[in-house]
Formats: sequence, C-alpha cells, structure tokens
Amino acid sequence: MSKIMTVDVLSSIKGAEPSEAVNKLFEVIKNANTSTPNSVANSNNAVSLDNLRADVVRDSSAIEKQIIIENFPKEKNNYLVVSKVIEE
Amino acid sequence: MESQIHKIHQQLVNKELSCTQLVQARLDALKQNTHHTVNALLDDMALTLAAKVDAKIANGDAIGLLEGIPFGIKDVYMVQGTYTTASSDLLKQYKSAYTATAIQKLLDAGAIPLVKENCDSFGHGSSSENTIFGAVKNAINPDLVGGGSSGGSAVNVAKDYTVFSIGGDTGGSIRQPAGYNNVYGLKPTYGRVSRFGLMAYASSTDCVGPIAKSIEDVRIVLNTISGKDERDQTTYASEAIAETTAPDAGTVKTVGYFKNFIESDAIDATVKADFLAAIEKLKAKGIAVKALDFFESNTLVSTYYTLAMAETASNLSRLDGTNYGNRIEGENLKDTYAITRSENFSEETKRRIVGGNQVLSQGFSDEIYLKGLNLRDQIAKNFEHDFNAVDIILSPVTPSTPPKIGDSLKDPLAMYLSDAYTVGFSLGQLPTLTIPQGTATGLQVTAAKTNDELVLKFANFLKDTI
Repeated sequence: MSKIMTVDVLSSIKGAEPSEAVNKLFEVIKNANTSTPNSVANSNNAVSLDNLRADVVRDSSAIEKQIIIENFPKEKNNYLVVSKVIEE
Repeated sequence: MESQIHKIHQQLVNKELSCTQLVQARLDALKQNTHHTVNALLDDMALTLAAKVDAKIANGDAIGLLEGIPFGIKDVYMVQGTYTTASSDLLKQYKSAYTATAIQKLLDAGAIPLVKENCDSFGHGSSSENTIFGAVKNAINPDLVGGGSSGGSAVNVAKDYTVFSIGGDTGGSIRQPAGYNNVYGLKPTYGRVSRFGLMAYASSTDCVGPIAKSIEDVRIVLNTISGKDERDQTTYASEAIAETTAPDAGTVKTVGYFKNFIESDAIDATVKADFLAAIEKLKAKGIAVKALDFFESNTLVSTYYTLAMAETASNLSRLDGTNYGNRIEGENLKDTYAITRSENFSEETKRRIVGGNQVLSQGFSDEIYLKGLNLRDQIAKNFEHDFNAVDIILSPVTPSTPPKIGDSLKDPLAMYLSDAYTVGFSLGQLPTLTIPQGTATGLQVTAAKTNDELVLKFANFLKDTI
C-alpha cells in the first residue's frame, strides 16, 4: 500500500486543506524540547486488566431500540436504507 | 452568594412557592431570553416532574435537597427522548436513545432538567459562536461573547434562568465561560465524574462538571454526579465532600502561581495587576506564596490542541450519516460520507478534524503526535513536582476580558492562544475551579489530582479574603 491519501480523503471532507493557524501550533511542537523523544510513558488512562467490566451482552430497552430506529436517516418499505457501496 | 439550592429547597418545603410555579417561571424566562442560550426547552418533562414534586409535598412526604431544583444541560449530553444536537447541523434532528450517567444521577436525586443549552459545536470553540443556534451573548454585556464552549450554560446560571447547569470541560470549556460571566465553574479531577453519555470531543481530557452561583451548590452537585461507573472505565470511586462553613485556609500553607503566565506580554495589564493584588492579600493572611516555573503558553496550547484534534478526528469519524444524522446522499458510500460531513460540519470543526488527521498520518505522527504525548507527560510530572512544594496553584482564568461577538471567528489562532491558562490543568487532569473573584474574569483554584475537596475549601476561604 503506497497510495498517498490527502487530508480531504482521510477526513471525508471535500476540498479540505491543512489550515495555517493549526500548522503554526504543530510547528511549536516540532521545535519543542522533549527530554526523552519518542518514549511515551503515557499510561494515565490505562485500565487495569483486573478492573474490566464483565464481557456480557446487555439488551437495550424497547424505547432505546425505537429511538435508534427513529434516528436512522432513511427508510423504505420497513427497511433501513444505506448508501450504495461500489467496489473500487 | 448563598446557596440557591438550600434557599429554594426551604421555599418548597415551607410551601412559599410550588415547584410548578418555580419551573414555569424559569421556563418563561428561558423562552423570552435574547442571549441565545437555548437549543431546546424540555418544558413537558420539566412540568410533569414538577407536578410530582408538588404532589409529594402536598402529601406531607419529605423531599431531597435537589428534588424540584431546576437545572440546565449543555447540549452535548444524552437525555433519553430529547434532541441532542451538539449545536450542529449534522445532529439537528438527533434524539438521544439513552441518558448520560451524570444526568441520570441528577434525575434520580429529583432535580428537574429545563433546557438543552447552546454551546460551541461538539465543544469546538472558546466563545460559543461556533453554533447553528446563534452566538451566545454574555450575561453582563450582550455585545461580548458568552465564552465557550459551555457558554449557554454559564449565561443561564448567571441570569438565574437555571439554578445550576452541567457543562463539559476539555480544555477550559466550563472554567472560561464561568469566568466570562462571573459565576463558579468546576472542572473536577478527570475520572471523578462519568463521561458516559457525553458526546466525546477529546476523551483523555473530557470532564463533566457543574456551573453554579455558590461553592456550596457546586459541592452539592459534584457529590451527586461523582462516582465509579462501569460504563466509563476511567472513573474512580470518590468520597462525598462535606460542607465547609468555616472560612479558614485549613491545611493550605503555601500557594503557587506560574510566573510566566503573569510576566507574559499577552496578559491584559488590569488582569495582571488584579491578580498580583490578590496574591498580596493572601500573603497578608500569612499564606506563603511561591512563583513557579512552567511551560510556555505556546507549548501548552500547542500540546493541548495537537492531542485534542487527534482525538476529535478519531471520535467524530463515526459521524458519517449512515446510522444517524443528516445524511446527504451522494453517488456511492464514500461520496455520501464526504458530502454529509462537508455540508454539515462547521468550519471550525472541519479545521480540527483535518488537523487531527494530519497529526495522526504517517510521517507526522512521530514528529508531532508522539512528541505531543511526551510533552503531556512532562507537564503532568511538572504538576506532581509542584504539588510537593505548594498546596494550591492560583491562576487567572484568561489573559484578557471577553472579546466582542464576531472577533474570535476571524482569528482561530488567537482563539486557541486565549486558552493558554486553562489547557495546562486539563492536560494534568487536575481539579480546577473558576471563582468569580480576583480579576475581571475570575481566578482558577487548582489542587493535586483527586483533591477536589481542597479546591472547594480554599475557594471558600478566598470568598472572604480577596
């Protein structure tokens, strides 16, 4: 996979281009001093394996299911309609 | 100001006013208000709940402290059956299928939700102008911005439309609008309050917190919404904070402040002078004050936005119009995704998504994203080090006073830089409270991680000190 993807494709936003204001923020990071580059000890939000919730399926309530269906953007003859997928 | 919650509770118990009268008056005020604070009124739900509280009182039953107390909800929280738009075109017609944990806890305590409140779209902004519902106008001067992103929530509290509101704070979004509208706003320690049911902006710093007119009301609401939640595994169990009445500094012997914040060219001269005057008042009370070294504002802001944009690009990638949202059909699936997102996201949201995808893409991630994570670790370590030397860190909330409506959107970089004093505490995941004292936009009181209690106690001391 050597295909180069531009930010508009990566972001699924037509015509999107990097912004000058945001690039200025990135320049600050590029030029910042880091004590130990590329060694990230960031484990602030890690959850211990002993502390995981039980891996069980929980059924949604009837009202939850009804609202989820209500939120679906398109419906035809009792089917939920999705976009056409074309293989590239 | 005295606790509004205690005051209204007594009025209800003493039958000086009915809950229905109370709720109706607040709904009327919200409906008529011209500050653009309302995305949706929850009038049917509120009046039904109020009638139940009145029936209970009439029956001679005791009511809880929060029972019948009207509150507001930033429009990024799920409340089952209500529209939750994130102030965006994409979710303009989106209905919550379930209720956020923090909101459910308030409902269980009997508090009455009145309104889904205007804010910057998906929390992307510092002025509450990035919204499809019109720029939120400041409570004190309507020509100025309400602050953001929880602008509608802060203005509603300041104008007494709600007794308290639940905001969301990722990089300052509770503390800054609280400062701009002269009310209290708390960003609790990250993980103290469940994020379940809050639309994710940057998950590693997103916090749920109260905005209110007194420290006591902040305390009551914080105690109610805190706690471990298995649906947000970053939460931790915390003790309830007891009411403080004695205005003494308690265990606080030393207060620190970041000297580079105050020596910066960007700080308004009056904010600086007022901050230094507040520091002098503390010294006069026998509290030791230490000037601390900290990271440059540019580094703090850039680190925060780099990580927040990376996280929001990932979090918002689910919004493609397939299962929900305002889908706009294209020629095929990818085209539908792109048109839906292009047409429905605001310019600021698109800017952040694109920035986030830049950061996360090959070639950039080592140079920027990993370096950003490394800087965050250094910032967190710096705080750990500081809190060995001081008990509390005091800081202005913003370098200057609120801008005029229309000015922030013209210059996104200036808007990002205006968050210089709030984002560091977010990256450190620390408890920080804005108090409406000290400078024109207030002061931030920060303690070490999980020490939210000390923040409230010291704020109580400051009430009579500065």
